Amino acid sequence: MMKRTAIAVVAAGAALAMGLTACGSSKTPSSNSSGGTNATAVYNAAIGKVFAPSTKKGGTLRLANSGDFDSLDPADTYYGYSWDFIRLYGRSLVMFAPKPGGDGVNLVPDLAQSLGQASADAKTWTYKLKPGLKFEDGSPITSKDVKYGVERSLDKDTFVNGPTYFNDFLDLQGYTSPYKDSSADKLGLKAIDTPDDQTIVFHLAKPFGGFDYFAMLPATIPVPQKADTGIKYKEHVVSSGPYMFQTNNLGKDFTLVRNPNWNASTDPNRAALPDKITVQLNVNADDIDNRLLAGDLDVAIEGTGLGTAAQGKVLADQNLKAHTDLASLARTWFAVINSDVAPLDNIDCRKAIEYGVDHEGYQRAYGGAVGGDIATSLLPPQIPGYQKNDVYNFAAKPNGDVDMAKQELQKCGKPDGFSINVSYRAERPKEKATAESMQQSLARVGIKLTLNAYPQGDYAKLYAGKPDFAKANNLGIMIYGWGADWPDGFGFLQQIVDSRVIRAAGGNTNLGIRDKTVDGLVDQAMAESDTSKRNQLWGQVDKAVMDTAMALPGVWSKVLLYRPDTVNNVYVNDGLGGYYDYAWMGVKQ
Amino acid sequence: MVLGPEPVGGDTTTLVADEPIALAGARAIEGRSLGRIAWTRLKRDRVAMTGGGVVVFLILVAVFSHFIIKYLGHPPNEFNQKLVDATLQTPMGKFGGISWSHPLGVEPLNGRDLFSRIVYGSWISLLIASLATALSVIIGTVMGVIAGYFGGWVDTVISRLMDVFLAFPLLLFAIALAGVIPNKAFGLGGDALRIALLVFIIGFFNWPYIGRIIRGQTLSLREREFVDAARSLGARSPYILFRELLPNLVAPILVYTTLLIPTNILFEAALSFLGVGVKAPTATWGGMLSDAVHWYQIDPYFMLFPGLAIFVTVLAFNLFGDGLRDALDPRAR
Amino acid sequence: MIRYIIRRLLAAVILLFVVSVVVFGIFFYVPRLAGATPDDLASRYEGKTAGAAQTHELAVKLGFTDPFYEQYGRFAKSIVAGADYSTGPTTEHCPAPCFGYSFITHNPVWPDLLDRLPVTISLAIGGALIWLLAGVGTGVLSALRKGSVFDRSAMGVALAGVSLPIFFTGLLSLSIFSYTLHWTAPGSSYTPFTENPATWAYDLILPWITLAFLYAAGYARLTRAGMLETMGEDYIRTARAKGLPERMVVAKHALRSTLTPILTIFGLDLGLLLGGAVLTESTYSLPGIGKYAVDAITNNDLPKVLGVTMVGAFFIIVANLIVDLLYAVVDPRVRLS
Repeated sequence: MMKRTAIAVVAAGAALAMGLTACGSSKTPSSNSSGGTNATAVYNAAIGKVFAPSTKKGGTLRLANSGDFDSLDPADTYYGYSWDFIRLYGRSLVMFAPKPGGDGVNLVPDLAQSLGQASADAKTWTYKLKPGLKFEDGSPITSKDVKYGVERSLDKDTFVNGPTYFNDFLDLQGYTSPYKDSSADKLGLKAIDTPDDQTIVFHLAKPFGGFDYFAMLPATIPVPQKADTGIKYKEHVVSSGPYMFQTNNLGKDFTLVRNPNWNASTDPNRAALPDKITVQLNVNADDIDNRLLAGDLDVAIEGTGLGTAAQGKVLADQNLKAHTDLASLARTWFAVINSDVAPLDNIDCRKAIEYGVDHEGYQRAYGGAVGGDIATSLLPPQIPGYQKNDVYNFAAKPNGDVDMAKQELQKCGKPDGFSINVSYRAERPKEKATAESMQQSLARVGIKLTLNAYPQGDYAKLYAGKPDFAKANNLGIMIYGWGADWPDGFGFLQQIVDSRVIRAAGGNTNLGIRDKTVDGLVDQAMAESDTSKRNQLWGQVDKAVMDTAMALPGVWSKVLLYRPDTVNNVYVNDGLGGYYDYAWMGVKQ
Repeated sequence: MVLGPEPVGGDTTTLVADEPIALAGARAIEGRSLGRIAWTRLKRDRVAMTGGGVVVFLILVAVFSHFIIKYLGHPPNEFNQKLVDATLQTPMGKFGGISWSHPLGVEPLNGRDLFSRIVYGSWISLLIASLATALSVIIGTVMGVIAGYFGGWVDTVISRLMDVFLAFPLLLFAIALAGVIPNKAFGLGGDALRIALLVFIIGFFNWPYIGRIIRGQTLSLREREFVDAARSLGARSPYILFRELLPNLVAPILVYTTLLIPTNILFEAALSFLGVGVKAPTATWGGMLSDAVHWYQIDPYFMLFPGLAIFVTVLAFNLFGDGLRDALDPRAR
Repeated sequence: MIRYIIRRLLAAVILLFVVSVVVFGIFFYVPRLAGATPDDLASRYEGKTAGAAQTHELAVKLGFTDPFYEQYGRFAKSIVAGADYSTGPTTEHCPAPCFGYSFITHNPVWPDLLDRLPVTISLAIGGALIWLLAGVGTGVLSALRKGSVFDRSAMGVALAGVSLPIFFTGLLSLSIFSYTLHWTAPGSSYTPFTENPATWAYDLILPWITLAFLYAAGYARLTRAGMLETMGEDYIRTARAKGLPERMVVAKHALRSTLTPILTIFGLDLGLLLGGAVLTESTYSLPGIGKYAVDAITNNDLPKVLGVTMVGAFFIIVANLIVDLLYAVVDPRVRLS
């Protein structure tokens, strides 16, 4: 029928028109500053210095998260961005100095008057709290509240996410949880003394010179015992910081407003400029990028930088590029080669993978040079103690060394290669791209990879981080990444290379590095009280790990952060790990 | 046709068409069979024939996809990083990197050949859609005929069963199921398992749509004289079912099969888009669209070609199905 | 009439029960099919320091080791009477109706659903009104002006609408209208109607139109086909012969019989949509129950998924029931059968 012809033509035309509009869409950056630009946007303007410094208070800071926090509860959170953001509603004993550049890795006192006083054997650490500290309801903050906060963080049944440093180092004497505490005030942990309301003393089971880093952890954020509702506490965390919760819609969004009982004179480390802070959760990642660029959003809270497509768009445009900061992080994207899975129990087979992988492909998966430099070992170069080592010649052969790989395969008795599975986190397109790149490059030497994606929320808990699961599912290569808990050798390496932290129950941060030499060096480093010697030892640990061929370094991470015109007083803090300092940022009005 | 929490395409006239596409046994004059009449009418409908032609072409491409890729294209999963700009991650060259060697350009980031991936995707899409459709049609026809012919409690039971199936929020269900299945089960693994799973989910839960229609048709056919005649001649039920009723149901079966396929193609694309379809790096149209969405603003061609592929396929099937229905409908103007 | 209503109500209740058993059963058996033991299922909810014995204890406490009928029985009972759940030292009460309890967020599912339902309802109803008006209107006009330019272009666009995936049109529209032209709100914007009706509408206008585009296309084709069919009937010819103005012929006679089956389908579509407009909500990041389900699936939070599926099935069954009852009102033959 004639009519139907016309209809078909129109239908095709309609779709084509849509397609063409897509092609012709403009790439102009939108003007978004409402209050005029006081400082000119320049590439990397917030690195090493504060961009658009300001002391003007007011406005609403709008942040968005493509997923959800692991928890807002200080005892139950492990995400780097969460440790940055938590300082808005919680104060710990010490914190990182709010300074750009190298000064930002130094610790300064927060609740405490000074950094910790150590006993001679570095097993006892004492802090004195500043006077005049109050919770959001006006009740005073005492050392007992800090102790209670730490006690809660020990309960890994209720609070499953947080780090276990206090569990590992305090002289617990069997103490498990304040919820199983028989004492009336629930302060039965003998490893922490509170001789008076201002003083708190920690007793460790083994010496540790870097205890101030533990004092920095959110676990030392005070929690009033009367207000503790256990697992529900995250729904309204009682604030000790400049802001407090106004609303908290789980899984959707929350809002912080000023805490009237925050004493600014006791807190020179937080600018607390905005009057209000809003955080939206579970927002589509592309939406976040688009809204940042359009001026509808101020901060992408996760600090993982622009997505690949937005990145391409921004880098191609000089004006947009001026709004970005390429931050170097204390984070490495790497993969673990699982010696539990045959034939990877043989070191030569593992070495074959080290030689066979296309490192440039790994780098491209993370955005090319913008994503970071090709990593030749795990420890990021900016960590004190880093020594350059390149055991498998990544630098000279960025696309891998097929001949050496084949030689290693001969040595391990698999000249025709073998088949294994590679795991990655399903929500991370860069990890997927890495897996695909590995699949392609290792196919050159006959190693066949099958891709397995797992949800990121449970990746460490149930899948790659659970040794039995990984073994049963032939996960020979497990793609991962790790940011330093704090910028020193211990803070970066210990949780990922020490075999003693591996638990059968899962939830591991060390996915599969098990080597006695490495463990021995780790023990040496932890016991060393001289800082520079200690840092050197960590450098040696780094090399020892590469010698085992159990780690496949990928990229020393950089992130392309976007800094819209709406924010001021912004800089990248290296102590926090390469995030914008959320407690320092302000909003233009 | 409404399938899942939102329709993913397809025609919704099916439920209206409880009015039967009445197909008499045979025309008295000239002895031209229904098939011939329909075919003549169809031939005259140029748009439907074009749609049909495209459908045939697509089926051929899908069936011979492995050969096409082998001789005309590149391995679909092979990276060509040299063709991708190192900083921007976008393909070098105009229109997403179109060249003689790569007629539809390459993907950003890894430089995989888009032409080969779209051809391979056609194979996956059509395979899953046709198998799922076949499953739905077979189950639906059998159940519909039995329900319509035998009536009584058999009909009641089957109709209630249809209600149960129709009450499932299908898309949600599909996502949840697809997310839980492991990598190896039932003796299958990898792609084969995912494809089997998708065929099962899409096909098994959709049979009531065909079932209802066939039941309606059967109900009206049952009352016709030729059935009475056959019965009075001593024919038993199986004979009536197979030799009398089924041939008259061929037309609606054919039409709704043709219209169900594009719906299933869109459904599979939606599942791939949501990440629970066939797994990466296997090329599927929905999966490619899902990736392409992130690149839309700097490399729109990555989105355009798979989008067009889906669109053209679905459109062709719809046009052909429409034409087929008109051709088989004796009341067509 | 009353008997008919009672029969249908009864059937709907039984259907709800059967569907709930089947859904629960599938969510019960599929993880086991995937090789998960009750201990595996329990291990997701505990900390790193737990040992195997502790895990098993938790599995028993959570009821994962109980047989299917017991677990279902508990679930059914919890809907009516609420239930208590405890993973660690504390016990939380989930008040009735308790459609499940998430051990990850430590919150009952039902309040989450209630919270998000307005979003899905806003999306569904707004979109439905638009597509009904646009789709039926276009279909009627097309039928009346059969063969005209309007007819051909409308049907062409309709064909395009049903041939494009909704996430494709959605994302494209978002890119063009929100991020490039700034005519509409960016993704994940939603203001409750009670807060500000104007912003509410502004935030939803693009999702409504995308949704409507898809459905309107189908409805336009349907209406046109139905309309053409009806207009060819004898009684229409009679009405015209009697001298009724064309407008009355269409509005009073043709429309009525055309619309009846369409309204049937509309009711069913709406029911399905309320069960979770998964694709639209995912595309626009709207915090409705569809997105809730997808997020829950991503996080492997089965109780939430179960809750949403049940609610979805509930809406579908209720919509079916309403449509059946309306049909009985409109078409006396149905009542009497």
